[in-house]
Amino acid sequence: MQSNDQQAYDRGTTIFSPDGRLYQVEYAREAVSRGSPTVGVRTAESVVLASAARTRSPLMEPDSIEKLHDVDGRIGIGSAGHVADARRLVDFARRHAQRERLRYGEAPGVEPVATAVADHIQESTQTGGTRPFGAAVLVGGVDPDSARPRLYEVDPSGTPSEWQATAIGSKSGEIREFLETAYEPGLDLDTGVALALEALAESTDDNLAVAELDLAVLDADGIDRFGSDRRATALDDAGLSAS
Amino acid sequence: MTRHGLGPGRGQDGTDGRSQVAGGDRPRGSGELTHDRLTAQRGRDVSAGTPEFDTGTTVVGLTAQDAVVLAADRRMSLGGRFTANKSVQKVEQVHPTAAMGISGSVGPAQDLLRSLRAEASLYESRRGEPMSVGALAQTAGGLVRGLPVTPLLGGVEAAQGEEGPSAHVYSLDGGGSVLEDEYVATGSGLQVAYGVLERRYDPEASVETATEAAAAAVAAASERDTASGNGCTLTTITAEGVETVAREDPLDGGTQTEAGATGGTEEVA
Repeated sequence: MQSNDQQAYDRGTTIFSPDGRLYQVEYAREAVSRGSPTVGVRTAESVVLASAARTRSPLMEPDSIEKLHDVDGRIGIGSAGHVADARRLVDFARRHAQRERLRYGEAPGVEPVATAVADHIQESTQTGGTRPFGAAVLVGGVDPDSARPRLYEVDPSGTPSEWQATAIGSKSGEIREFLETAYEPGLDLDTGVALALEALAESTDDNLAVAELDLAVLDADGIDRFGSDRRATALDDAGLSAS
Repeated sequence: MTRHGLGPGRGQDGTDGRSQVAGGDRPRGSGELTHDRLTAQRGRDVSAGTPEFDTGTTVVGLTAQDAVVLAADRRMSLGGRFTANKSVQKVEQVHPTAAMGISGSVGPAQDLLRSLRAEASLYESRRGEPMSVGALAQTAGGLVRGLPVTPLLGGVEAAQGEEGPSAHVYSLDGGGSVLEDEYVATGSGLQVAYGVLERRYDPEASVETATEAAAAAVAAASERDTASGNGCTLTTITAEGVETVAREDPLDGGTQTEAGATGGTEEVA
C-alpha cells in the first residue's frame, strides 16, 4: 500500500508528496546530473561559459552537439541535461529577448532573461499534463547599463540563483568544490578562461578534447564563441592539452 | 500619434502580432496599398480629423560598387501641411549590413523597423549567421503587408567564395510587394528624385559619387515637394556595416555632421 501511495506522488508533476516534495522535479534534477557538464565563471568584465560534450561515436560530428547557445548576441546560455528540453528553453529565451527589445527598445539584462526562463520552467511544474524540463541552464552576459557581468543558474524547479562561478551537469558537485577553492573575484579574462577549463577538467579523468569542448566569452561587446584553433590555444594556456 | 494601421492582435502588450517574434497570426490588413491609395488614405484621415503624422518624404536608394547608399530628407509633416519635426532620421539600420528607409505613416513605419530588426536579430541568434539580404527583403515584405508604409530596403551581401560583396536595393509597399532594382525612390518627392537619378545613376560609380547623386536627388525633391526638406541624412552600407551622417544642406558636404540618435543601430551591431 505504501508503494502505491508513493507511485501516486510520483505520477503527477503537480502533486506534492506528504513531506512537501515534487518527485518529478527531483527526477528532472537527476536527468540534469547525468548530462555532460557546463561551467560558468564570472571575471572582472565578462562571463566565461565552458562545456564538454560527449560524442557517442567517432563518426558523429562534434559540432552538431549543442551545449552553448547565443540568445541575442549579448547573452549566452549553457545547458546540461536533456538537449531537446534545453533547446526549447533557449528558443524561449531568444524570443523573450526580442520581445523585450520590441517593447522597450532596449536590450534586456541578464537577470530579466534568466527570471523569465525560470518562470517558464516553473509553469511546467504546476500545470496539469506537463512534465518538468529535464535541463538546467546557465545564463550569462554583461548588463547593458551597469556593464556588470552576471551569471545565473536556473534549475528544473524554476529557481534562479546568481553565482560568481558554478557548474551544472555531471560531477557538478566536484567542479563547484574545485571552484570554491580556486575562484577569486576580479579575474582577468585569460585567467577566467583557464579556470573554467580547469574546472571542467575536474569532471573527467581523460584529457579534454578540442572537438568536444565548447567555449564562449560574454563581455560588453557581446558573445564571442571560440573556434577550434582558439579552443586548442586556450587548452594549451591552461596546461590541459592532450599532448 | 495615429493608431492608424494597427490590426487585430497588435499593440496589446507592445509586441507585433504579425511578427514571428510574438508568435501571432498575420492579420490581413487593408489589402493592397499602392502609392496612389496611400495618398488617398492620408487625405481621408486628415478630413476625418485624425492627426496623421506622415513622413511626406523623399527617400532614395542606389547601388554602387560593393555598397549601397540611402538618402532621405528630414521633414515629418502633419497631413503634409505642417512640419511636425525637422530632424527625423528616416533610414535606420535593421541588420548588420542592411538599412531601411521609411515613408508613409510614421507610427506603423517605426513599428515595422523594430519588428524587422527583431526578426533579423532572432534569425542570427538561431542560425549563427546573419540573414541573407534576400531573406531580409522577403521578411520585410511579410511585415509591411497591410501597413500604410512604402519603405525602401538596402543591403550588402557579404562576399561568398569567389564572388565579392553584392549590393541590393528594394522598394516595398503595403501590399507586400518586394521589387529589387538598381536604384529606387519613394515618398511624395519620388518623381522629382527619380528625375535626378535617371541622369545621375551609374552602376560603376564609387561610393562617393553615388552619395552625391543620392544627395542631389533629395535636394531636388526638397526644392519642389512641400512635404520634403530640412536637410538630409546619408547612409552608406558596405560589407563592413552601416554608417549614417546628416547634412543641413544636402548639396554641401561642409554642413555634414554625425547623425544623432538612431534609435537602435547599436542594437544590431
